[in-house]
Amino acid sequence: MKAAKLAIPSLVALAVFMVALPFGLKLHQQDFMISLLVWVLVVSSYRLMALTGEYSLVHVVLMGAGAYGSALLAKLAGFSVWLAMPCGALVAAGIAALLSFPLFRMSGFYFLIGSFAAGEAIRLSWTYFTVPFGGPKGIKLIPSPELTLPGLGPIPFFEPIPYYYLTLIIVGISLFILYRLENSRIGLIMNAIHWRAPLAESVGVDTWRYRALAFVIASFFAGLAGALFCHYYGTANPAQFDVAAMVYVLIWVIVGGVSRFAGPIVGVVVLSVLNELFREAEQWRPLIYGCILIAAMFYLPDGLVGLPGRIRAWLDGRRGVAAAETGEAAEEPADLASPRRR
Amino acid sequence: MEIILQTCVNALVASAFFALMAVGLVLIFGVMGIINFAHGELYMVGAYLVWYFYASLRWPFLVAVLAAFLIVTVIGLLMERTLFRPMRDNPLGGLINSIGLLFILQVLAVQVGGVGLMKNVPPAYRGSLELLPGVAIGNQRLVALVIAAALLVCIWYFLTRTKVGWALRAVAQDRDAAALQGINIDRISMLAMGLGAGMAGMAGALIAPLTRVEPYMGHGVIITAFIVTIVGGIGSLSGAVLAAVLYAFFHTFVTTYWNGTIATMLGLLIMLVVLIVKPTGIMGTRVSE
Amino acid sequence: MALLEVRNVTKQFGGLTALNDVSFAVKPGEIRGLIGPNGAGKSTMFKTIAGFYTPTRGDILFSGTNIAGSTAYANAARGVVRTFQETTLFQEMSVFENVLVGCHLRARSGVFSALLGMDRDKRREAETRTAEVLEFMGLAGRRDQLAKELPLGSQRALAIAVALAATPKLLLMDEPFAGMNPEETEHMMGLTRKVRSSGVTIVLVEHDMRAVMGLCEYITVLNFGSVLAQGTPAEVRNNDRVIEAYLGGA
Ligand SMILES: Nc1ncnc2c1ncn2[C@@H]1O[C@H](COP(=O)(O)OP(=O)(O)OP(=O)(O)O)[C@@H](O)[C@H]1O
Ligand SMILES: [Mg+2]
Repeated sequence: MKAAKLAIPSLVALAVFMVALPFGLKLHQQDFMISLLVWVLVVSSYRLMALTGEYSLVHVVLMGAGAYGSALLAKLAGFSVWLAMPCGALVAAGIAALLSFPLFRMSGFYFLIGSFAAGEAIRLSWTYFTVPFGGPKGIKLIPSPELTLPGLGPIPFFEPIPYYYLTLIIVGISLFILYRLENSRIGLIMNAIHWRAPLAESVGVDTWRYRALAFVIASFFAGLAGALFCHYYGTANPAQFDVAAMVYVLIWVIVGGVSRFAGPIVGVVVLSVLNELFREAEQWRPLIYGCILIAAMFYLPDGLVGLPGRIRAWLDGRRGVAAAETGEAAEEPADLASPRRR
Repeated sequence: MEIILQTCVNALVASAFFALMAVGLVLIFGVMGIINFAHGELYMVGAYLVWYFYASLRWPFLVAVLAAFLIVTVIGLLMERTLFRPMRDNPLGGLINSIGLLFILQVLAVQVGGVGLMKNVPPAYRGSLELLPGVAIGNQRLVALVIAAALLVCIWYFLTRTKVGWALRAVAQDRDAAALQGINIDRISMLAMGLGAGMAGMAGALIAPLTRVEPYMGHGVIITAFIVTIVGGIGSLSGAVLAAVLYAFFHTFVTTYWNGTIATMLGLLIMLVVLIVKPTGIMGTRVSE
Repeated sequence: MALLEVRNVTKQFGGLTALNDVSFAVKPGEIRGLIGPNGAGKSTMFKTIAGFYTPTRGDILFSGTNIAGSTAYANAARGVVRTFQETTLFQEMSVFENVLVGCHLRARSGVFSALLGMDRDKRREAETRTAEVLEFMGLAGRRDQLAKELPLGSQRALAIAVALAATPKLLLMDEPFAGMNPEETEHMMGLTRKVRSSGVTIVLVEHDMRAVMGLCEYITVLNFGSVLAQGTPAEVRNNDRVIEAYLGGA
């Protein structure tokens, strides 16, 4: 109840903060903010997929498909970047649609491994085919978008601040769409499939279709994120979208907590900011991430977003209040594969 | 003709390595239901240990290999106790933990091995054995092949002819039923994990003088191991060995006559096809309960 | 004409024959009992009718159309809905949401209309239906509780509510009274009668003989995958082969 009343003011505050933010930052921090926003979109779209209970390992490769698609359309086919970006996202969605035929014949581990194989195969094809993908070096000199506003002249999107706002707007809209989708009837059905696919099927849900739908939509937004990424940094290469990147996404999602919409976002923001603060320790990053991941598996089964509830429960427990009475605390710790629509 | 025969010899050596990796992975998956993503890193650690004992400390090669094998086995046992056992009811959790460990081991390798990434391990056995005119097998490879094959035979004997091996296979088939029969699941899990890890460590130890030892060498190997495991039918040990041989020949020939990237790509596609045609997942059989 | 006609259905799992040449027919408006010792193949029969299994041989006619081998969700759209032997619910979702999922078939809409809120009429209709079903099953007071927090009796009722929300013509109930005390059973029997009078044909698998005999007009007995006997409760009760099967099984 209280939370609902606070939601709108805090969203407004967050928006104001995000708009004001870049001015207080150094150049490399502005760069960092752009990539952080992009990854926020990637992890949030991943959650849509996780809502149906499937964990895929092809998500980052599909992000790459969006980047490659958009970059090639802009460079080779001469598309305007404004058109190329959504088309890149559509390329990712289209590949996901094709992959859904083989992949959704599997579930659980088999899906995980199958998606891994599909992703690796796609990525290897970028490495192997120099035309048009540029081989291991990838595509360079990807153009940035151009826009001339009357009175203001051309907007320099190759500079961080304008591109930051562009990214902020696109990511903001995308998050809004994802959030609505999750809370729509379609999100309900997707989550129902996660909990009990046979029951959903017995009342008329075509589970394959909804799994595929979640996959395609999630991939569209991953592709969009990839497009946003490559038109700022100017490059797209296979190493950017490798297994390590995929695993980072998984870590952000899990450490943040998959049980809430905000979870993966919290995960990526907290871990990336920590990482940015300890830049000298770059080579230790995977080790630290590994430790955090394992620690989260043991001590934070509902992720960082579950932390306030746990702390409250702990405090209440200390005050002698029966934990069971505090609704939140009574919530059984969700195992990793338990995304809820909240 | 010589090239074909030579390729066959190379493929045979590769088969042994693939089989060592895949059989371990299958054992772990069969008994614990966990896909060990850190399997490639155990292999890497095995290679690093040989580099350290043999190339740096100048221990005899075989002693170094044995030490690596034992140490990686112990790492496996520790993994079971600390990372996998608490996650017994949550196999996905076990998988995630193995991913965490993968990162940790990689960074440790970078730190221990120094900043220069690659390590060179000089061969312990020089020269080669000429099988036919123009067809030779390097002595180092021969030793690796013999040891790997011997280890596989031992494992096979152990699993099929001993009581503990029988118990292990019973757990792999149906854990609950096995527990009801009084089989100690904890001990069997440790055994499977120790064996699986040991085999990966052994593979890495034997390959150390034949390849570049570097922190990320596990990555390509885990992909191969996945392909072999899936194609062989996950959970089937003989399937894993057969698939290892087939895939090793396939991969070696495609690499020799065409291109290594293409070979891996085709391997991944084959794996996908197998997953589609014979999916053991719930969706595949329409037995939705 | 029979609403459901099972014709010579055989279902094999590898070497095991779970159903062997089973035939029976159910008239519209009936409450049919399907009984038999453990492992007789009752649940397998249900899963085969509902489309979760494809029969190895034989036909399943629903309103005259052969639905053997059709998918579960397509059968649900035709009006064939089953409940599950073990209580099967969306445990982490509220009672209301559980039933709302049951309304899927009438609330179905495209992605874009769901996103843009253009499915409002359908959504409202589904919510109305959900409220009706909850009222009908006596769960209205619990609508915001999580399914897993309900007592067993209410969980059973909820499972039926989810099925009812899909507006079945034929409802296959797999052991709805299992684990209930006599009062709960009595209550659930009342509900079952109420469902039937709302125009739903019911096939009931149940081990509680008192409930089966009290509810069903006609009973089919399965044993080792084959039809052992059919008849009114009185006929079945006095059938020697049935008595023997049950005693032998017990
Ligand atoms: N998916 C399956 N694979 C293999 N065998 C199965 C499968 N499902 C059921 N069986 C077997 O088919 C037979 C019939 O099982 P079924 O569940 O239909 O029995 P039932 O009559 O519902 O029993 P109960 O009263 O205990 O619920 C049993 O021997 C069972 O072991
Ligand atoms: Mg049954």
